[in-house]
Parts: sequence; C-alpha cells; structure tokens
Amino acid sequence: MALLDLKVNGQEAQVEAPDTALLLDVLRERLFLTGAKRGCETSHCGCCTVRVDGMAVHSCVVLAARCQGKEITTVEGCGDGMELDRLQRLFLEHGAVQCGYCGPGMLMAAKALLERNPQPTLDEVKKGLDGNLCRCTGYTPIFDAILAYSRGA
Amino acid sequence: MECKLIRPTDLDEALAAREEYTDGLPIAGGQSLLVMMRNRLISPGALIDLEPVEALRGIEVQSTGISIGAMNTCRQLIASPVLREEVGVLPSAARQVSSTAVRNLGTIGGNVCHNEPGADLPPVLLALNGRAVLRRRTHGREVPLEEFFTGYFETALEADEILCRIDIEHPNAAGVYLKHAISPEDLAIVGVAAVVVPDSERPGAVAEARIGIGGAAPVPLRASRTEAALKGAVLDEETARAAGELASTEVDTGSDPHASAGYRRKMVAVFVRRALLHAANQMMGNGHGAA
Repeated sequence: MALLDLKVNGQEAQVEAPDTALLLDVLRERLFLTGAKRGCETSHCGCCTVRVDGMAVHSCVVLAARCQGKEITTVEGCGDGMELDRLQRLFLEHGAVQCGYCGPGMLMAAKALLERNPQPTLDEVKKGLDGNLCRCTGYTPIFDAILAYSRGA
Repeated sequence: MECKLIRPTDLDEALAAREEYTDGLPIAGGQSLLVMMRNRLISPGALIDLEPVEALRGIEVQSTGISIGAMNTCRQLIASPVLREEVGVLPSAARQVSSTAVRNLGTIGGNVCHNEPGADLPPVLLALNGRAVLRRRTHGREVPLEEFFTGYFETALEADEILCRIDIEHPNAAGVYLKHAISPEDLAIVGVAAVVVPDSERPGAVAEARIGIGGAAPVPLRASRTEAALKGAVLDEETARAAGELASTEVDTGSDPHASAGYRRKMVAVFVRRALLHAANQMMGNGHGAA
C-alpha cells in the first residue's frame, strides 16, 4: 500500500491505496467522486475521462501514483458544485445527454479540446472526442453543443 | 499478490530495479500494459515506472539521424518541430494512433515494445531504418528494428533490459503512412509506410524505396523483395501497382475476426500502391521534402 498525495479539483487529498491503484478506482472508491464512470476499463469507451494537468486521459489506464504533484480535474470540478457551467448548460440545451453515462467523459474531453483550440472546426471536434463513445445521441447534439460554446453562444 | 510500484529517479536506478525484480516489468505510458494487467493476461510482481527517468526523454538531432527518447508520447511526437520538419511521416503516423487520450500518454517506446499487430508506429520506424537502443545495468546494445520485432507481441528485449531510445535515419526522402482500419482509432488491418529516397542524378527516379508493413502479419516487416525491385525505378502508376502485387506475396497473413488472410493480402497490394504513389507525388512536389 502507498499513501498518495493528490490534488483533485483544487483540493488536496491524502489517500491510502495499493501501489498500482488506478486513478479511476481512487477517484470513485476512495474519494467518492463518482462522476468519472466505469465503462469498458480497457481504454476504449472514454466514460472515465478526466483531466490531468489539463490533458484528457482515460483514468482506467492511469496509475494514481503518477498523478501526485499534478492537477486532476473531474466533472465535479465544473461549475461551483451547485450551478452548472456554460458548457454543461449547452450540453443540456442541445440534448447532448440522453442516458448520460458518457457525459462526464465527453465534458472533460471537450474542455481539454477547447482549452487547446478555442475555435475548433467540426472535424477538430470529432478528432478531439475520438476517445469517447456515446451510444445514445449519435454525437451530433454533442458536437453542436461544443461548437455553440466556441461561438460564444 | 500485490504488484509493487518502483519509482526510480534515474536510468541507473531503473536498470538496477530491472535486474532485481525478475518478475517486474517497466511501465512507460501504461496505455496497453495496464489493460493487459486488467485483463489478467499478465500479472507482474512489480512495475518499474519509467516516467521519472530523464534519460529516456528528448528528441536529438545527430549527424547520422534523429535519436528519439523512448518516453516521448505520441502527443510529443506530433508536436515536435524537429520531427515535423525532418521526418513528417512519423508525427503523421503518431496522429493516427488510437484516440486523443491514448496519444496523450502512450509512448513510442511502449508502442514498439508492446509490438501489437496493427500498431501504427512500427511500420514507419522500420521504413526509417530504425534501431532500438537497449541498455542493461552492465552494458548496452543496438538492434535494428527488423530484428527487434521477433514475434506476435514479442520483441528482442531481454528481461533485464530497458529500451532507451529509437534512432532513425535522417532521410533526404519523402514518406507516407497509410492506415486501413474499420474506425480510425482502431488498430490497422493493414498499415503501410513508404519512404522514398530520390535519385539525385535522374529526376523522377528513386534511389531507394523502403516499405514497412504492419497489421497484415503477426510481426511488422519490411517488404524487402519489393524494395529491391524498386531500386532505380521511376514510380509511375504501373510500377506502383506491380510493387503492391509483389509486396502482397511477401506477407504471411492470417485471418482474425476483423479480416480474412485473403482480404489482408489484397489490402497490402492496394495500400502499398497508394503509399508509393503518394510518396512519389511528395517527392516530385518537393525534392527533399520531409519524409
């Protein structure tokens, strides 16, 4: 076991976890941040996507120990915990969420993309979300929400 | 049994750990290794974390070529001004590896050591005459990648060695990587890299063409008979077609749920032809363009 010093959504946390614990497990089961979802667990579906130092990563294939000293951001870090932020509201307005399971991962991947490239083309949005699967929406409402955000809608 | 995590601070410590933990494995980006562990395909007693090892980073231009640290992520390959300028085919292939999240963490060294059929970087690195620079505690050695890829998910890396760098040639050449996959983030059913060195004496002719093929066979390979046939050739439609046909006889393909052996062989012919024509166009448009 190891004692890990993590910084999640701006807050310091110390957790005890197995040496090779995965970030997803630590977030969900030690810190009770269940926004990042457990999906395929093999880095295909992207519903566990969080940001580490700004980059979108699949937390099911990241060692928690490696995230020490880095900024971890999950969907719980969006908005202020009570109010949704602008991208979340646009997801709602565009119907980008149906069952919702992919939502937290989509949001984190979209935020990483928009920070890197504030005015993405549709193709760039698709490429930026290529690690995130959605089985409900057909993607179009998700792309629309992200493009609306970049237009300042 | 719990798997230990060893975090060495430099290469010497990492090599010492590699020697000490005989049931251990080095972990680079972890994008394949942690999936293999999760699926219980491997159960190492220890992971030796290569992330803190500075000696495995960086991209250096040398007189003979470019030396790429094994811990460079796909994201870093894509962003590297040196690679984009000198060997554009490598960042272009790195852009086609899996998904954004995987490219953010997955490394060139991990990609090569995992040696999964259909991986995008091995065919390109083969066509760039890549060499694996390996170290063990007492000494090091260099292995041409053609000899490094030994079998299905197997490489020449010994149990006490670490892949430190991959050295590629600095070609005065054009280069293309084309990937055939069901979805772009999948592994390649067939992935073909063509690097074409123009003949400085005879405009339009190729001094040398090098072809790396991934996905089609259990091990990525160089199409050496096809390369021999192309020496000195002018790369027109007919030459490229014949080269594709010849290359398709060089791969020992197999069937799996994604594609039959016959289909793969046909796609090798198609993609070798296309890759050669693309590379030839690049060569014409820009005599010493980036490979």
